[in-house]
Amino acid sequence: MRKIIYPLIFALLAFPFPYSYAQETYKIGAAFALSGSIAVYGEGFKKAVDLAVEEINASGGIKGRKIEIIYEDNKSTPKDCVTAVRKLITVDKVPVIFGPAASSNFMAAAPVAQENKVVMISAEGAAPGLTKAGEYIFRVFPSDVLQGKGISDLCLQLNYKEVPVMYVNNDWGMGLKNVFVENFKKAGGHVMDEIPYDEGKTDYRTELIRAIKGNPKAVVNLTYIKEGAVMFKQAYEMNIKVQWICGSAAKSPKLVELAGKSVEGIIGTYPVFSQETKEYKAFRAAWKKKYGDEKIPIFAEYNYDMVYLTAKAIEKGGYTSEGIRRALFEVAKGYRGVTGDKTFDQDRGVGSEYGVWTIKDGQIVDYKKKID
Amino acid sequence: MSSFLLQTILNGILAGCIYSLFAMGLTLIYGVLNFVNFAHGELIMWGAYFLYFLMEKPLSLPLSFALLPALFLTVLIGLGSDRLIFKPLRKANRLTLLITSLGLSFLLRNGAQLFWGAEIRTYGLEIKKGMRFLGVSITLNQVAIIVVSVLCIFLLYLFFYKSRMGKSMRAISDDLELARVMGIPSDRTIQWTWVIASSLAGLGGILLALDTNLHPGMGLINLVKAFAATLLGGVGNLWGALFGGMIIGLAENISIWILSPGYKDAIAFGIMVVMLLFRSSVVFSSKE
Amino acid sequence: MDLFLHLSVMSLIYIIFALSLNLEIGYTGLFNFGHVAFFGIGAYTSALLTLHHFPFEISLLVALFLSGISGFLLSLPSLRLRGDFFGIATLGFGEIIRMVFQNEVWLTKGPMGLPGIPKPKLLSVRFATLPQYLLLTLGFAILTFLILRGIIRSPFGRVLKGIREDEIAAEALGKNVYRFRIKSFVVGSIFAGLAGVLWGHYTTFISPNDFTIIETVLVLLIVVLGGKGTEWGPILGAILLIFFQESLRFLRLPPEYSRYLAPLQQMIFGALLILMMLFRPEGLIKERREHGCLS
Repeated sequence: MRKIIYPLIFALLAFPFPYSYAQETYKIGAAFALSGSIAVYGEGFKKAVDLAVEEINASGGIKGRKIEIIYEDNKSTPKDCVTAVRKLITVDKVPVIFGPAASSNFMAAAPVAQENKVVMISAEGAAPGLTKAGEYIFRVFPSDVLQGKGISDLCLQLNYKEVPVMYVNNDWGMGLKNVFVENFKKAGGHVMDEIPYDEGKTDYRTELIRAIKGNPKAVVNLTYIKEGAVMFKQAYEMNIKVQWICGSAAKSPKLVELAGKSVEGIIGTYPVFSQETKEYKAFRAAWKKKYGDEKIPIFAEYNYDMVYLTAKAIEKGGYTSEGIRRALFEVAKGYRGVTGDKTFDQDRGVGSEYGVWTIKDGQIVDYKKKID
Repeated sequence: MSSFLLQTILNGILAGCIYSLFAMGLTLIYGVLNFVNFAHGELIMWGAYFLYFLMEKPLSLPLSFALLPALFLTVLIGLGSDRLIFKPLRKANRLTLLITSLGLSFLLRNGAQLFWGAEIRTYGLEIKKGMRFLGVSITLNQVAIIVVSVLCIFLLYLFFYKSRMGKSMRAISDDLELARVMGIPSDRTIQWTWVIASSLAGLGGILLALDTNLHPGMGLINLVKAFAATLLGGVGNLWGALFGGMIIGLAENISIWILSPGYKDAIAFGIMVVMLLFRSSVVFSSKE
Repeated sequence: MDLFLHLSVMSLIYIIFALSLNLEIGYTGLFNFGHVAFFGIGAYTSALLTLHHFPFEISLLVALFLSGISGFLLSLPSLRLRGDFFGIATLGFGEIIRMVFQNEVWLTKGPMGLPGIPKPKLLSVRFATLPQYLLLTLGFAILTFLILRGIIRSPFGRVLKGIREDEIAAEALGKNVYRFRIKSFVVGSIFAGLAGVLWGHYTTFISPNDFTIIETVLVLLIVVLGGKGTEWGPILGAILLIFFQESLRFLRLPPEYSRYLAPLQQMIFGALLILMMLFRPEGLIKERREHGCLS
């Protein structure tokens, strides 16, 4: 008899019941790019979020209840981000959503969240106007207002006074480009040309030719991973020898994987956080334990912090949008996450310092040349 | 400064070679079968993807071994689509055929996306620096494109001027009125047409992908360019298609000096629309 | 319930879109493969104006006007073309319009699209919630249907059908074929623009990628499947296809499979188009042929 009852009970408990788990777990929505052109970012985010959720649940969850992430694939397009977010709000009825990567995608969906009074957080969007949709929209990633200045400073410190700037034709690229140009000009630099380019193309040779028209020594290229891979490869084939200067979106092991030796020596800026803090070390150890390697994908740390902040906000403010929204400010104040201090400012963003990275022998390392 | 112009012209010639291959295939179908095959772009794309498929695991064939099978498979699609879809519609009006081929192109394009996803793929060949030659850079792949295209054109010339099948195909496509009077061409002629057109498309697609990588949408945009080239050269006219392809390739690349790069693909569209509106009798309505 | 309301709104929008195309394809025999361009022009115009705080009534009228004018301008040169070349020219036009949306960033914000399009306020009634929007769309759909039906049943409509069947005969009877085609095309464009306006305000976010050949194929399939040249054909086609497409969107699939959904659905559409042409080109609802024609 026992041989039947126990497995039966076990099976009943393990079998997912059709009715909603609302009273069982805290559900949080996540509209990530799991397919499409920026899936390479989305996959990394998911891994980071899963790690954080696993840790939180293992230590008892929030007041005893576990958190559960409902993932929606946003297919890397702004339109599908809107659909994904809408679906999470109307069908799954979550009070808080981890928003999509890429500023344009995030900004397309933000008004939907704001209109429905659902909190949405970005762990990656860098465009300056990211949170302007309203008070329910937050970001744990610093705005590019600082990065633009960082790139401009870097160019001048390396003695490149005249550069063309190439950029992805979307909110992020344009936003960063504008800040860069403004700062560069103010500091006496000369922007030779501004060359926008579409995402997802297989051939950027015409843009590259435009860029080197004036024989520059350096080219600022505000690019993503896939586009960057194609461009740097083609530039290499075309024997283009310039110093490439990038932003943070290209700082990824995947770029090295895709583009090989053609990206050797490129330099870029990135919002920097110390890798020596105990929070970071703990994170890195946990990552290694779960995933078996130390290839931490780009922006993973921000996603990790985002999950923890959200969990704390639910704990403090309750499982409602309004409660979470209010609590986020409180729990973030002075919170030291893996990526540093996460206090929100009045635009619901965070601050940061900027460092410089480069690729040497196929590895991403800090750029060692003296920069004051 | 002028080395940039040279480079641009070189890029234009490269693009032109590939477009010519596409256009010649398209114009052949139009000439012999008298309809615009909207799915021609997908033959281009599937040619490239078949090669990718053969070169990837588990088969992992090297390029030289995988080339002919890839072309063979592309030809199968072309012949298959004719047998299953276009043959029953032989007597249908042109618009029905156009819609049908539109549907077929949809089917094929999304089929590729189903198998390989929507991301850009590459053949994974080693990145090599281009060779410097008179101030321009040209990679080995690009040299291959020019060589292969010239070879193709030469072979086509032999076929169309020296073989009987070729001569009869030329006759049919040179004079549409006469062809109509003579009735629908024989099955063998039609099959040969598809074989050649599909091979040209597949080969062109492979060359293109060697140069610029693969993605499922690559068929459609190149179809438009092929069509524009066809119109430029005169529908049904093989050498016209060659000429048209070159013009489009050069125009596209040179125009970027003035226009924003985003409009590069629009050049072909624009030329196509202009040709349609201002070109001659073939395209005007029946009462003319 | 929400899902059902959503499906209804989308169907009604596409009914308007399909009815407008049906006027051109079904009744006048014009194969317009660029119809999505006017859909887009309507959507972008109204979105841009309302985002700049123009009242909806004005935005709507301007959008309809611009759609109509674009239709007029396109039709002037291209209507001299023979059937299938007309199709390709209009296809080219559709793509060019999309590229304009994509590249003229100063106007349309290019690939970033226009988020946060406000819900319409017509005659001091706000149509913000889903049921309210359904009412709005229903009203416009009924209006469209009645107007287009009126046109089709009028003497003007009969001439259109005559032109479709036998252009030479129509000319012989003294009808200026060219003029009739232009009028039909402009009316079709205006209503396509209307559909676009309603669509933009419903989804609250539009971008150039919403107006591609895919939408053209969809609306073409709707008209062809339902039965071109009939009054109710496009309506049936729209309901069937939209219910199918949108329900798929809301299907709960594990993430590993969701990437197969979209291409699979498109493949079905492509296959459907082929099958329809092979086996039932008249569509589900056959056109009633008056006086037993020879065709």
